[in-house]
Amino acid sequence: MDLIEALHSMMLIRAFETALARRSDHGFQLLSSGEEAVAVGVCSALTADDQLLTGGRSIGPALARGLAPDAVMAELLGKASGPNRGKGGRGHMSDASAGFFGAHAVVGGNISIAAGVALARSLGGEPGIVVILFGDGACGAGALHEVLNIAAIWTLPLLFVCNNNQLSVSTPRTAALAPKALSDLALAHGIRSASVDGMDVVAVHQAAAAASTAIKLGEGPAFLECTSWRFASHSTSTRETRGQAEMAAVLARCPIARLDAALSTSGALTPTIRADLERQVDAAVAKALAFADASPYPERDEATTDVG
Amino acid sequence: MIYKITVPTVAEDVEEIRVLEWHGAAGQDFRAGELVVELETHKALVEVRAGQSGVLRRVLCQDGEWAKVGIPLALFSDDAVEPLPENAELARDLAVDFVVD
Amino acid sequence: MSGEPAAATERLFFREAIGRALREEMRIDPRRIVMGQDVGAFGGSYREFEGLFAEFGASRVRDTPVAEAAMVGIGVGAAAAGLRPLVSVTYMDFIMLGLDPLVNYGAKLRYKTGGRLTAPVIVKTTSGARGQGVAHSQCVEAWLMSVPGLKVVAPSNPADAYGLMKAAFLEEGPIVYVDHKRLFPIPGEVPLAATVTPLGLAAVLRRGTDLTIVTHSFMTRTAMEAATAMSAQGVSCEVVDLRSLAPLDIATVSASVRRTGALLTLEEGQVTCGVGTEVAAQVQQRLGPIPVARVGALAAPVSSNPVLEAACLPDAPRVVSAAVALLGRRRSDAPRPVSRKS
Repeated sequence: MDLIEALHSMMLIRAFETALARRSDHGFQLLSSGEEAVAVGVCSALTADDQLLTGGRSIGPALARGLAPDAVMAELLGKASGPNRGKGGRGHMSDASAGFFGAHAVVGGNISIAAGVALARSLGGEPGIVVILFGDGACGAGALHEVLNIAAIWTLPLLFVCNNNQLSVSTPRTAALAPKALSDLALAHGIRSASVDGMDVVAVHQAAAAASTAIKLGEGPAFLECTSWRFASHSTSTRETRGQAEMAAVLARCPIARLDAALSTSGALTPTIRADLERQVDAAVAKALAFADASPYPERDEATTDVG
Repeated sequence: MIYKITVPTVAEDVEEIRVLEWHGAAGQDFRAGELVVELETHKALVEVRAGQSGVLRRVLCQDGEWAKVGIPLALFSDDAVEPLPENAELARDLAVDFVVD
Repeated sequence: MSGEPAAATERLFFREAIGRALREEMRIDPRRIVMGQDVGAFGGSYREFEGLFAEFGASRVRDTPVAEAAMVGIGVGAAAAGLRPLVSVTYMDFIMLGLDPLVNYGAKLRYKTGGRLTAPVIVKTTSGARGQGVAHSQCVEAWLMSVPGLKVVAPSNPADAYGLMKAAFLEEGPIVYVDHKRLFPIPGEVPLAATVTPLGLAAVLRRGTDLTIVTHSFMTRTAMEAATAMSAQGVSCEVVDLRSLAPLDIATVSASVRRTGALLTLEEGQVTCGVGTEVAAQVQQRLGPIPVARVGALAAPVSSNPVLEAACLPDAPRVVSAAVALLGRRRSDAPRPVSRKS
């Protein structure tokens, strides 16, 4: 894993979302601030043969998967130059040709879809795995339990990644979910399972890579719980539930600062390289904003096109 | 005595059946208990077995053909030479057992 | 329906017509698979999948656990990723469990991806009351007709059971195929040649001059029974079998009502917001005010109790009463606003 590249990728997500949130027309967004290591760690273990599906917290994963910031910003701001002509937005962004089969805003709603994608690809003899990324909020839903069962029985090439940021809007995960560790949910179905520190991009990468290898060897589905902390409230419309002292402790866990410190200590990251990364990130974000702002909205009559 | 086999009422919603296979041809003797014909309903196979011995004289509904409940499927008689009536409906019913599979 | 056998047809049970369409389609395209409870070696609750498991194997004919939400979702997702699945939901009552993936993802996929992905999935389900109780009897196809991006068909006879299943496999998006418990015992003629029943095309089953009865699924038989009874009373009914609920062939229905001057809609589902309500509204939009009666189940759950079930469901006598009342009202109204053409 190229750690400088991982740092770059996490910095891009952070800067992109910060710039987006600053706009008055940012729309209804779910941000990945603090959770960048989960997206980047998982995506760095994927190849062009794999497909990624997510829930509604899709911006970090989409960028980590390699979608161009220009296209992503356009889609988020409702412009026709987005991959879905601005009709999907954050909740439904999709670019299957880039290995990002798509987001779906229904909590837990993409889990059975991902299993279907895995079934199709496996029957089609296609290499690669399918990854479904969801939060702790989806772990109480019947959808997860039904699909864990069928994925095990049908030996689907499916990696369940639970980004456990420990809060479902306002509900702490321990108040909502019974298991000691969310990775225990998979054990009931005989599915190989692991829990890692979601703030450590290296740990996430290693666990995701190991799971992917096992799945490709035909061992069946796998489950990976990444424990993380989100830096913002659930969404741009949601009140923050945590107090100042708690937030200070959360922000101190920054995955970007952590990797930065580790790479600085090892000498791999110098002030020059860091400055260069910051420059690249700022330029990419500025370019994305300019592209989106210069792009038109879809025409009104697109309200009734591609209905089916 | 001339007898007829008619399409039995096997279930309340069965209106029409298809003859799957006759297990004998005209002139053949059947003893009680032997399988005479298999019928298909929309749901199940029905085995029609002779409830009395007799000679199959004329098949009225061939393999693969359809008949509604109550319609005569074949004529039987006690012996092989008794003359058959024009109207099969007039014959009395042959004793049969049927098994729904 | 049970008309004269046309040339080049074979008489099949309803289930055999479905099975024949599936066999033909699965032989053509290996992406076509079937998933559902008891569809494999068992051959389906109505034997409609008989023989498919033996011919195509466990990979393409998959038994599933009782988990409709997951199964519909997996069917939708597999379709989005290139398969052509048919998901069997044995009882229409339980399609409700699969509505999130079907409606929130499947029906919206083409739109939400700006046309880049679609989910060509068939959800086949059996509706109707036949002594199985309040949660195993429902006809809720009306709930599905208004979902943009979702198509709904309902054959009333083996020829259309075959033809609409063939049509369903040609669709590029999700389609719900609704058959009915009480249609399975009834055989009918099916063309020997591979035939597609077009979507959005109703069938006039009986020509008439005094009243148009618009119906679908099993109630088509009740409509024909009522029409026969009414002709003995000197009332000539035209019976239109919708076959396709979304898209809806309102042109055929309107043309009929323009000739007869009166509309009676008949369904086994609820009257409120039912299929008939939509048909009546659309016909009135085209023709202006016309006499309309809507007949459907009573506003109550349908119990397995034989007396109560029979009381709830429409039957020919109830249709006749409604028709007579409708025509009586029409005669006592001002002259009809549309001219009558034969």
